[in-house]
This record gives sequence, structure tokens and C-alpha cells, in this order.
Amino acid sequence: MRNSMVGGSTMNKIVAGLLFGLLLGALDGATAWFYPEARPMLTSIMIGSSIKGMIVGLFSGWFARKVQSTAWGIVVGSALGLLFAFLVAAMDATKGKPHYLEIMLPGFVVGAIIGFLTQRIGTRHLAKQRTP
Amino acid sequence: MDADTAIGGPGDRFPSTRLSLIEATASGLSSEALDRVITIYWKPVYRFIRLKFHKNNEDAKDLTQGFFTTALERDFFTRFDPEKASFRTYLRMAVERFAANQHAAASRQKRGGDIEFETVGEQAVPTESPEQVFEREWQRQLFCLAVDDLRAHSEGCGKQLEFQIFQAYDLAEGERPSYAELASQYGVPETSVTNYLAWARRMMRSFVMERLRGTTAGWRELRDEMRRVWS
Amino acid sequence: MELGDSVLDHLRRVAALPDLSGTRYELEGEIGRGGMGIVYAARDRVLDRRVALKVLDLTPAGEAQLIAALEHPAIVPVYEAGTLPDGREFYAMKLIRGARLDRYLAAQPNLPERLRLIWRVGEALAYAHSHGVIHRDLKPQNVMVGEFGEVYVMDWGVTAIAGTPAFRAPEILLDQRSDIYGLGALLRFVLPDPNPPALRAIAAKAMSADPAARYPEVPALLAEIERFEQGVAVEAWPEPLWHRLRRFASRNAVLLWLLAAYTFAKFLIFFLRKF
Repeated sequence: MRNSMVGGSTMNKIVAGLLFGLLLGALDGATAWFYPEARPMLTSIMIGSSIKGMIVGLFSGWFARKVQSTAWGIVVGSALGLLFAFLVAAMDATKGKPHYLEIMLPGFVVGAIIGFLTQRIGTRHLAKQRTP
Repeated sequence: MDADTAIGGPGDRFPSTRLSLIEATASGLSSEALDRVITIYWKPVYRFIRLKFHKNNEDAKDLTQGFFTTALERDFFTRFDPEKASFRTYLRMAVERFAANQHAAASRQKRGGDIEFETVGEQAVPTESPEQVFEREWQRQLFCLAVDDLRAHSEGCGKQLEFQIFQAYDLAEGERPSYAELASQYGVPETSVTNYLAWARRMMRSFVMERLRGTTAGWRELRDEMRRVWS
Repeated sequence: MELGDSVLDHLRRVAALPDLSGTRYELEGEIGRGGMGIVYAARDRVLDRRVALKVLDLTPAGEAQLIAALEHPAIVPVYEAGTLPDGREFYAMKLIRGARLDRYLAAQPNLPERLRLIWRVGEALAYAHSHGVIHRDLKPQNVMVGEFGEVYVMDWGVTAIAGTPAFRAPEILLDQRSDIYGLGALLRFVLPDPNPPALRAIAAKAMSADPAARYPEVPALLAEIERFEQGVAVEAWPEPLWHRLRRFASRNAVLLWLLAAYTFAKFLIFFLRKF
């Protein structure tokens, strides 16, 4: 009977996923500023983090279109986040000291957030959806 | 309604019963209105005075008579405002004022006011307030008169048997006979008993309404008072 | 002649009984007293089922036709209307098996259930209003909950004067807004004792002494209740800031927890680096 759609936006979930991933990835990357040794590479970290976020967002959004479940969205998002964070951390480890925990743990949680948001926001269908 | 219910038939006892109270007063028939009021309200007022003011039989009668003759001037009816209360309530309050005035006057004469007290004899234990007694007596009078009307009407149109069966069943104190017993007693089929009772009750109902109409100011008050009667 | 007390009571009762000869109904007993008449249980001889018969005191203006024209799950269907031999009008309608609202509440239903009842009544009112019918006497005694949980609103179109004081709007000329008042009073009636201030505020607004200050129509009131149920701000209640935050937090609990987890993770890493 009554449908709670936040905002009633007409943006589809994949696009939403990309946007959230970009935003949250950038913010997550920006927190590297608190680590003085990482500060010089802040820009590249942020770019890398944003791309990572967008990829996670893309897959999460795609998943959200197929399956409507907040819980599973979180699971998938966090798994993806963990995976790509691992890849980044592995790449980073070749350069010097490994930072697996610092990258994967936040990546895991950010993935969860992206997964959650793609479930809640955006439409599943291509056509514009009427507001309920 | 069938022709049976035409009131004012033989004897034409109450020619203006169809008029409501206000209509009767307006057309200058206030003595008629007074008659109708007295017929219904004399006993209730009497019992009310006895109970509320603890009067003995004689004093209560005097007061009742005094109320109806003295206190009911012409504009008693015109001062009645149906929006504020029912006529019944209005009348009762007027009785209270009247009796209280008399009471006060009498006690002024008797220095110290040793008014005679007598236990209310006939009317049983006062589990009811005087106001409740007043209303109950009013209902009682209404139905008494309606039954009288019914009796007269039945005699007038040859339905004495119907009335007798009604009397035997609905007016029976204590245990009522069964329909079967009545049927055999009066030599009619049982379905007739049902029909006769239905007819009698229907007529009685319309008589009650007519009596009531004569002491109410309009259809709304009539409806409200009718509700009080049935419930 | 004198009539004893028991005879008097008997006569009073039988005089009110409807004479159903000539109709297809058989009287069974009295159920209750409605706005403009008495309701009896009767048996329809033709269809062999029990019905409710409402016998109207004096002739109102076509109450039966009024109700029969409305077809809604919450409005009792009228089967037949007619005139009794004694001149009174009656109509036969579905006999509701269930409980009156005031008795239904004795079973202490939870808040969502209470709001559902109000919602059903509101839907019936909105429907009736759209058909130009006003109830005018909305009160708990006129709402019944059937055996399947369905809700019925009874006793429609009663004239203004007969309304019950506690639930009747103060103005003389009654229109749709008086039903809004009645619905607000009903809402307040069903609210349990510790109750959300937002709902109290909705009821209070619906029961404003000035009709213009109430909700303009029933759907507006229902929308407010829906907003409450969704955890969104209610127009009738300007909530204090801390309450608004609490509500926001409860609505977005998951997200806030995730953000907290992120922050916690960051701090954890930060401090772990020290060792």
C-alpha cells in the first residue's frame, strides 16, 4: 500500500552506484591525509580509491537491479569492497611496506555502504518510474 | 395507516389531540392544552411533591391543585422554550419553584418552620429520586390513558375480543398465559392471537404518541420524548 | 385504572417492537439503539439468514436510500427498505458479527492495529464525502470490527442535533469538517495511554474549535498518519530538535551504523599503527 522511496529519484541504480562509489571512494582516499607518509601521494590515492569505489558501485548497482534485498546488497558490496581493496593493497605491497589492514578494512566497510545505498536509492528499470 | 387509527372517532373525546402543544396555545386553545397537561401530569406532579417535599396526602393534593390552577397562567406555555429542555422537565421545574415558594411562605408563618413530616406511605422505599418518580409516573399515566383510548376505540369499532386478549396477555400482572392457552380460552387460532396482539400494540403505540404529541412542542421533542418512553 | 410497574415496563417494551407482519422478516430481538432508531435482529424467511433491521422513529429524509447508494467495504450493505404497518420506516441490512470499537479496544491491540482501524474509518469517510454523504455522528459506538477484522462504520446521515456531545463538533452547521472532527476524536479515543505526541497533535488539529483550522479533507488527515508511520515529520506537530534527530537516526539506522563502523575502523587502524 504505502511505498517509502527516498526522494523518488529517477536515476537508475547503476548510475547511482557509480556516483556513490566515486564520492565515497574519493572521501575514503582523502582520509589518507591523516597519515603523513601517505600525504605526498594523496592525489593518486584519491584517484585510485575513486576508481575502486566506482567499480564496486557499478557491480553493486547491477546486483541491486537483479536482487532487491538490503542485507544481500550489503554483503555483496562489502565482499566486492574487500576484493578490490585487496587488489589495491597487493599492488601497493609490491612498492614497499604492505598496508593490507589500512586499505582492506575501510574498503570493506565502504563497500558495505555502497552496497546499502544502491539497494535503497535509484530505480531498477530503465524507464522513468512514476512516484508512488 | 389504516382507517382504524382515525382518532376522534366515536365520542370525539379529544378533538384537538393532533395539535402539538405550541400549536394549541397559538390558536388560543390554551385551556384545552391545560386539560391535556392535567390529564397526564396530575398524578406525576402529586407523587413528585409528596416525595420531594415530604408532604402528606392532603397537603400534596392541595399543592398539586394549587399548582395547576394558580401557577399555570396563560403565559406558562408561551414561556416554554423547547430548545432548552423538554416540556416535561420545564413543568417539573415549575412545580419545584411553586412548591418551594409555598413551603417558604408556610415556614415563614410558622416561626421556626416545624413542617409536618410524614413518611411516604404508598410509594415504596425511595430507591428512586423524586425526579425519577416523576418521570416514571408520567410514563405510567401516558400508558394508562393510551390503554383507555384503546379500550374505547375497540368498543367503538367492534374489536372487543382483540382488546380482551390484549388485556389478558399484555396487561397481566405476574405470569402471562401462553398464546396456546389464550387461543383455546377465546376460541380462536393461535395465529389470530399473534395478530390481535400485534394490532393492539400497534394501536396502543399510536395512542401513546398522540397523547405525547399533545404535551410536546414539536416533532423533535416528540421523538426525543418517545425515546425516553421506550428506553 | 392503574398499571403496575412490571406491566408498565412490559408495555413500554412491546410498544416499541416493530410489527413485522406482511414483511419477510421474523423478529428475534433487540440489538441496540442507533442514531434515529432501534436496531433489531431478525430472520429473513425467504433467504433463511439473519439480518439487522433498523426501525426509524419518525420519518427522516430517506436515510435508507442514502446508505444504499454507498458501496464500500466499510459501509454496511442495505438489503431492503420498506414501511411497517404502523407507519414506521425500516431497512434491512447485513447483520454484523463482531465487536463495537470500544469493546474491541478492551483486548489491548497494538498501535499499528489501532491506526489501521482509524485508517479504515477514514477511507469510508473519504468515500462517502466524495459521494456527498456526511456521517455527522461519528463515535466509537458507531464503529464495529467484524469477525474477520474488517471495519464497519454505521449509522450514517443522522441529523445534527442527535450527535453525541463528546464526539460532536461545536459548530451548528455541519459539513465535511465535522466528520474530520469526529475522526480526530476517534483517533484520540483509540490512542493508548503512553502515546506519541505526533498522533496527539494530529488528533488535536482535527479537533480544532475553528473548522477552518482542521484538515480540509479526510485524505489530508490520513496522509498525516501515514507520514507518522513512515517516520517522517508530521505537519501538525512541530517536533523539538532532539526528537527530529532521534527520528532521523531510527529511519537511517543502518546507514549510521555503517558510517560508525567506518569511523571505528579508521580510528582502530590509526591507533594500531602506533604499536
